Amino acid sequence: MNEPTLSSLYRDMWLIRAFEQGLETEFAKGNVPGMLHTGLGQEATQAALAAHLDATDSYFPDHRCHGVNALAQERHRGGGRRIMAELFGRSTGVCSGKGGSLHSADPLAGNFGNNAIEGSYMATVLGVALAAKMRGEAKVACAIIGDGTVGRGEFHESLNMSAIWELPTLYACVNNGYAIYTPVGKGHASADIVDLARGYGFRCEQVDGNDIVAAHEAVGRAFEHIRGGGGPFFLEFKTWRWQGVFSGEFRPAEEVEYWRKDHDAILMAGDRLRQMGWTDEHLAEVESEAHATISDWIDFAKESPMPDPAKATSDVYVGFEVSGS
Amino acid sequence: MTVETAPKKRTMVKALNEALDLGMEVFPEMFLIGEDIGEMGGDFGVTRKLWAKFGEERVRDTPLSEAAIIGACVGSAMVGMRPVAEIMFADFLGECYDQIVNNAAKLRYMFDGQFRASLVIRTACGGGFGGGPHHSQSVEGWFLNVPGLVIVAPSNPADAKGLLLASIESDDPVLFLEHKALYRSKGAVPEGYYTTPLGSAVVAREGSDVTVVTSMRMVPMALEAAELLAVEGVSVEVIDLRTIRPYDADTIVGSVRRTRRAVVANEAPGIGGLGSELSARISQDCFHELLGPVVRVDGLDTPIPFSDELEHLILPDTDQVVAAIRNAMAQPERGAR
Repeated sequence: MNEPTLSSLYRDMWLIRAFEQGLETEFAKGNVPGMLHTGLGQEATQAALAAHLDATDSYFPDHRCHGVNALAQERHRGGGRRIMAELFGRSTGVCSGKGGSLHSADPLAGNFGNNAIEGSYMATVLGVALAAKMRGEAKVACAIIGDGTVGRGEFHESLNMSAIWELPTLYACVNNGYAIYTPVGKGHASADIVDLARGYGFRCEQVDGNDIVAAHEAVGRAFEHIRGGGGPFFLEFKTWRWQGVFSGEFRPAEEVEYWRKDHDAILMAGDRLRQMGWTDEHLAEVESEAHATISDWIDFAKESPMPDPAKATSDVYVGFEVSGS
Repeated sequence: MTVETAPKKRTMVKALNEALDLGMEVFPEMFLIGEDIGEMGGDFGVTRKLWAKFGEERVRDTPLSEAAIIGACVGSAMVGMRPVAEIMFADFLGECYDQIVNNAAKLRYMFDGQFRASLVIRTACGGGFGGGPHHSQSVEGWFLNVPGLVIVAPSNPADAKGLLLASIESDDPVLFLEHKALYRSKGAVPEGYYTTPLGSAVVAREGSDVTVVTSMRMVPMALEAAELLAVEGVSVEVIDLRTIRPYDADTIVGSVRRTRRAVVANEAPGIGGLGSELSARISQDCFHELLGPVVRVDGLDTPIPFSDELEHLILPDTDQVVAAIRNAMAQPERGAR
C-alpha cells in the first residue's frame, strides 16, 4: 500500500476512535440518551469498508458502525457531524433524532440504516441487491454484521437466496469474538464464521480485521468481484471490541493486553507509517486533529435544537394521518 | 373509477389475478415474489398465467424463506420497487413477523421519511375448510397495534380487485388478507383498471334498527342474517370494513349514532383483537346514543381444530349473527330500566 492511501486510512481510523472516545465521555456525563455500542478496536474494518463504499452503493451498518456512518456522511454528504447529532437525539441528526445510534440512515450517503434487531437487515439487503440486479446496476448491496448475527435464521435465508439468485451482495462479518458476552465458538458451530458461509458456494474470505492493509485489500477484492458480476461475497474480519459489557471487562487480562497493545489496528498502522518515514510528531498531529474535529462535532450536536414536537407523529404513514384515540 | 363494460360475474381468485395482471402492466417497478407463484400459479391460483406473461424475473419463485421474501420486498421498496409478496398461508406470517413489524411498518418513521415501504403482502387467511391449527387462522389481531401498517380485508371480488390495485399504488406497506372461504365466491367485477379507496368502509346494506360491523367472510353472513331478520321487520345496517387498519371510524360511529344498536362480528378469537377495538371505540364514541351494550360475535378462544365436527363449534356462523342481532334488539330502552 502506498503512503497516501495508508495515511488517509490512518486519519479515518483516528476519526473513528476519536468519535467513539468523545461519545463515551459524553455518555458518561449523561449527555447521550439511550444505550451506547462503540466500535472502538474495530476501526480498521470500518475504515476499509468506508473507503470502498460509493454513495451509489447501499450498506446496512451494524451495531458498532458509527465510524462507517460518520465517514460515509462526511465523504458523500459533507456532514459527518450529523451522525453525531443523531446520537444526541437532535433535529440536525440524519433522522432528525428519531432513529438514534441503532437507526441512523441517509440513503444519499449509501447508508440504508442499521437496525436494533440483529440479523433483520440480512433479509432486507436481499431486496436492495435484487433491485440492483433487475435494473442492471453495478452496485454493491452490503450488510455489515457481527458474529452474533450468524445465530439468526435470516443469516442463512439470506446467504441461500443470494447464492441461488447470484445477487451483488457483500456480507461483511465483523467477528469481534463475542455476541455481547457469549464467545463466538460457544454460540456457533465454528468460531471461524467463514467456514459456515462456505457451504453456500460463493466466494468467501477471512482477513485480519486489525490489519488495515490486509482489510482494505480484501474489501477491494470483494468490491471488484461483485461489481464485475461475480455474485455474492462473504468477508469475515477477525477483530476485537474494546467495550466490555454493562458490568465491565469480562475477558482475560492477556487477551485484553494482546488486542489493545500488541494487535491494535491504529498502533500497527502507525508502525507502518513510521517505516515510511513518518515521525512520532506527525502521527500525534493526526490524533489531535481527529480529536479537534470530533470536539467540534460534539459542540454542534449539543448546540443543535431538539426535534420539533410535530416529528413525534410524522411519517407514520404516507397516505394517512395518525388517528387520535 | 372507470367501468368500461357491464360487469361480469367472476370469482375472487380471478378478480385478484386481474388486479395483479393490470398492476404489472401499469407499474414497471412492480414484481411478484413468493413460494410456487411462478409456473404453478400459486397455491390458490391467484398468480396463474402471470409467470408466462411477465417472466421469471418479475414473477419470482422463492425457497421456503418467508423472512427473506418480506426482507426482499422491504429492501427493494427502499430503492423504489413496488413488490407484491404472496405468503401462502397467513399462519406463516410468524416467520416474517419481524420484517413486517420492525422493518416494513417502521422504516419510514424511524428514518424520518427518507424511505417508503411500498409493498403488499398478500396472504390466505381464515378457517372453515378443515385446514387445522396452522392453515386456518384469522391473524388481523396479530398486526392490529402496529403503527405504520395498513391491513386490507375484502369481502367480495369487485372490492378485492379495486383494493388490491389501491394497495399496489399505495406507498405504505399493506397486509392484504384474502379469506380462503371467499376465493371461489362469485360477484360482478368491473372491467379494466380501477381502485377502491383504502381506509374507507362501505355500507353493504342500509338499515335503521341496528348496525353490524364486520369484514371478510362475516360480511356475507351478516347480509344473510339481515335478510332473514328483514322478514321479521328488523332493519339491519351492515358495514363492511374493507380496511381494518386504519379503520373507518367515521362511517362506523355515524351509523351507530343513528341506529343506536351495534353488533361487532369477527371470525378471530375475541380477546385483544379487532372485535375488542371496535366495541371499545363504539362504546366510547356512541355511549350517549347506544340503547344497550355492543354485542359481539367472535370465534371461540381456542386454536382451530382439524375435524369439521369441531371446527364448526369454534367459528361463528350466520345463526350466531342472527342471535347477536336479536340480542341487540332485545335491549330495553335506557329510560325504561
